[in-house]
Amino acid sequence: MTTTLDTSTPAGTRTAASARGLTRTYGTGDNAVHALRGVDLDVPAGRFTAIMGPSGSGKSTLMHCLAGLDAATSGEVTVAGRDLAGLDDTALTIFRREHIGFVFQAFNLLPMLTAGQNIVLPLELAGRPVDRQRYDQVVDVLGLRDRLGHLPSQLSGGQQQRVAIARALVTQPDIVFADEPTGNLDSEASAEVLGHLRRSVRELGMTVVMVTHELDAAAYADDVVVIHDGAVTAHLTDPGQDELVAALRGRGA
Amino acid sequence: MRTVLVASMRHHTRRYVAASVAVVIGVAFIVVIGMLTGATRAGMTADVGAPVAHVDHVVTVADPRDVTRLMAGAAEDDVAALALGYAMEPVSRDGVQLTRSADVAEVSLDPGLQWQALEAGRLPTAPGEAVADVNAAKGSGVGIGDLLRVGSGRAAADVEVVGLVDSPAAMGADLYVPWPTLERFRDTLWADAVAWGGSAELATRLVPDATVRDSDAWVAERQAEISRGVDIIAILALVFVAIAFFVAMLVIANTFSILFAQRLREFALLRCVGVTRRELRRSVRLEALATGVVASAAGVVVGGLGGLGLVQLVGIWFTDMGAATIDPWWLGGACALGVLVTVAAAWLPTRGVTRVPPLAALRPDTGPDARSQSGRLRLALAVLSVATGSGLLAVAVADGALPSVVLMLGGGMIAFVGVLLLGPWLVPALLTAASRLLGTGPVGRLAAGNAVRDRRRAATTAASLLVGVTLTTAILTGLASSRTGIDDAMDTDYPLDATVTAVDAPLDDALVERAAAVDGVADTVTLAGTIAAVGDEPLPLAQVSGRPTVVRGPSDLSPPDGTVLLSYDVVDAWPRDVADRVLDTDRVVVTVDGRDHTLDVRLGPAWGQAGLVSSATMAELTSTAQPVAVWARAVPGTDAEDLDGDLAALAGSRAVVDGGYADRAWVDLQVDILTGAVVGLLGIAVLIALIGIGNTLGLSVLERSRENALLRAMGLTRDQLRRAMAAEGLLLSGVATALGTAIGLVFAWVGVRVLLGPVIDDVTMTVPVVQLGAVALVAALAGLAACVVPARRAARVTPAAGLALD
Repeated sequence: MTTTLDTSTPAGTRTAASARGLTRTYGTGDNAVHALRGVDLDVPAGRFTAIMGPSGSGKSTLMHCLAGLDAATSGEVTVAGRDLAGLDDTALTIFRREHIGFVFQAFNLLPMLTAGQNIVLPLELAGRPVDRQRYDQVVDVLGLRDRLGHLPSQLSGGQQQRVAIARALVTQPDIVFADEPTGNLDSEASAEVLGHLRRSVRELGMTVVMVTHELDAAAYADDVVVIHDGAVTAHLTDPGQDELVAALRGRGA
Repeated sequence: MRTVLVASMRHHTRRYVAASVAVVIGVAFIVVIGMLTGATRAGMTADVGAPVAHVDHVVTVADPRDVTRLMAGAAEDDVAALALGYAMEPVSRDGVQLTRSADVAEVSLDPGLQWQALEAGRLPTAPGEAVADVNAAKGSGVGIGDLLRVGSGRAAADVEVVGLVDSPAAMGADLYVPWPTLERFRDTLWADAVAWGGSAELATRLVPDATVRDSDAWVAERQAEISRGVDIIAILALVFVAIAFFVAMLVIANTFSILFAQRLREFALLRCVGVTRRELRRSVRLEALATGVVASAAGVVVGGLGGLGLVQLVGIWFTDMGAATIDPWWLGGACALGVLVTVAAAWLPTRGVTRVPPLAALRPDTGPDARSQSGRLRLALAVLSVATGSGLLAVAVADGALPSVVLMLGGGMIAFVGVLLLGPWLVPALLTAASRLLGTGPVGRLAAGNAVRDRRRAATTAASLLVGVTLTTAILTGLASSRTGIDDAMDTDYPLDATVTAVDAPLDDALVERAAAVDGVADTVTLAGTIAAVGDEPLPLAQVSGRPTVVRGPSDLSPPDGTVLLSYDVVDAWPRDVADRVLDTDRVVVTVDGRDHTLDVRLGPAWGQAGLVSSATMAELTSTAQPVAVWARAVPGTDAEDLDGDLAALAGSRAVVDGGYADRAWVDLQVDILTGAVVGLLGIAVLIALIGIGNTLGLSVLERSRENALLRAMGLTRDQLRRAMAAEGLLLSGVATALGTAIGLVFAWVGVRVLLGPVIDDVTMTVPVVQLGAVALVAALAGLAACVVPARRAARVTPAAGLALD
């Protein structure tokens, strides 16, 4: 059911984010949980990458570390050519607002701001002026023109996620991270949101990294990274359904 | 269900802390008041019975002159008797006045009636001997062997101090002299009872309408009387307890409703697994009950320790403080009130809990609803209350009669309740308006948005602080206004701060110069005149022309020609026949250099010890006017006793010191003490309100942790988050303070009109700008401080951790 495009391999493209020997451990001693055990990964720019794995595999932790939301225990993370190690909290925050966009599973929008206000919030936080052209482009691509004055509580789940995508795109970030963006949506709304994420890669040239555990969602991605027990077990380029299922069962790559 | 109750209490302990702190403070407040009054009562009533311990009866009479009659009769019949009372007389040593007014009581020469506890020396055995209270002696430097002159004029008596004694508060005096000496001061003697060793018949024979009582009964009655006085103070303090608890109730109700809003899913889940509505409600109310019990117990401990410390501390200055004790009823009442207030405050929020449909647990968590509905009924009731209350206040102002005080209090309360009811509309509107001051940046926008997000929560939080600020403002302004009124009255009654007046010879220049150089003297005027005589009494006459610079008040103390201005107490000190003649005829015959002159008399308050005449009149009386009086204006804030003492030391026996500064300072001190006490007592309510602000913010932080994490992920720096929270706290406390100050000023204006209007003409409201500014600043800064902990906690959470929260 996926359309396999014959594009260049990841090796031939620019790298938007990369991890080397990335480990993340929570707790100490007997209680230690090793969420990531030495992950090496390159995320190619201009492509839609899905990180897949079962619950507790460490895929969300990997995303948090790549996005500078969580600090790595050891290893190296480079995003947009910048080594995140050694950045203090404020520097990291400023780095995030300049280079990274986010779409979360739920509770994505601030309840007291309208859709339009939510979209420009990252720009406001950064004290950057709103690029009207970009704003209009993003709003139109996502079909939000007639919903801008609504509060989140007046929007459907799919519409809320579209607002969240628009907010992630409006700053023209180097990379957009989406954490289970369809987790709370029905299949129709899911398809719509995933379609929008893919269009933002195709039409706006964005780099999108999506964490998901749904096969159907991963099918929208160009590349799929499979993670098991805190380690990358496969990095597939334009995989077919069978290949993906095999990789998820731990037999692939 | 018990497992759930215990587990949820344990799980949510930290969130209950703030509600508990409000109760702890309230209960501790009551316990401290109970202990202080207990200690005061113990101290005041201790040894009341000492003077009558060795007699069977106490004879009480209506007229102090009857006391003299009883004592005379007792001496004749050789019956043991001791006058219970005191005279207020000046005391001097070697011609230097030690105090202008000392309490002088009797020490019996009969060893059986010498109840004073001897500290040093011996007790008097003969008239002309005296003992001094050890504390009073310490203050004035009197020692054993000193010769003191007690009283003034012809009543003055010289006594030798032969011992120092300790005396209890209820019956204490500064100096004890035997009856023959005390009897001389019948003008100032206040006594209505005699400890009586003789028979009842003898007493009634001497004074027919005297009441003879068992000494035990008399002691019990005295103790009850003193206790009642202490009780009144305790009851007045309870008014402030009520205010503090009202604020505590607002804080607790707010805390519970926030807590329950946050736990809705948990409650719904319990309903899902089969907990009935009734069980859930009971469980939640039991949580409130447990919180109340634990907090009240903690309040008793805190209050007990605080009370013990405070009693010790007060004991340093106020030696008559007894041991710290507390009435068990009082203690039980404090506990019961703490529990009751907690349960009552939680009652309304717990009702909402039971309305949770079990399905709520299954729905996705969208976070607490941003909007709360406020009914039209509430709005209507609020408007009605404000209108009615304002109407009553207006009537009270227009009316100005005594019932208007009741109208004022009722109207004020109704109007204030109306404002509180109006809160959900009023407070968000004010918050939005005030947030404009924060500018249009993202931090200001966030703070403003968060502050008004839940209108009812914002309103209740502001209301708790509003109560304290309104009352503090009203009372500070009211007291400042009455102080202005009192100052005006004092200026009229006491136009002179201090006077040094010659006794029987003109003042020498050295004394005049040194008087001007005394510490605390701002300015002096020297009055020239002569020493005249009225009958056998010397009367210094001084000339005043124009208004002397040191005079206060509306009168300039310059008499018309041919008239002499005399203070009442100068005339009162003359022999009865001379004084009566002057009072009857309004004329006085003064003798100067052997020649008689008749002058018109104008009597007045505290014009010093000299008669004042115009310069023209003085020229007729004598051609050689010499300095007879020095008038001084005191530097504000000077210690009255120091000033008096310094001038008295200078004056010696050649001049007398007088003046209104001591009275003025005393009245000022009373107003200061009253202001301090009221502000301090209201401070408890304000403190509880600030805890409420910190609590609301703290709980909101928990509620908003995902949101804050989202903001942080999108690029809000830690510092910006902290600043947004600080701005939110500042907005809340600022709006409450501004509103409270405004309402408080209105109340103060009404209060000044109603309470002071009938007493003081042309009453004006004095706004103590500095004090009110300080209140506003303290409230705002405290609001800021209240959000330090929540803001730190919010900023500490990493975005990833915040997003993972459920």
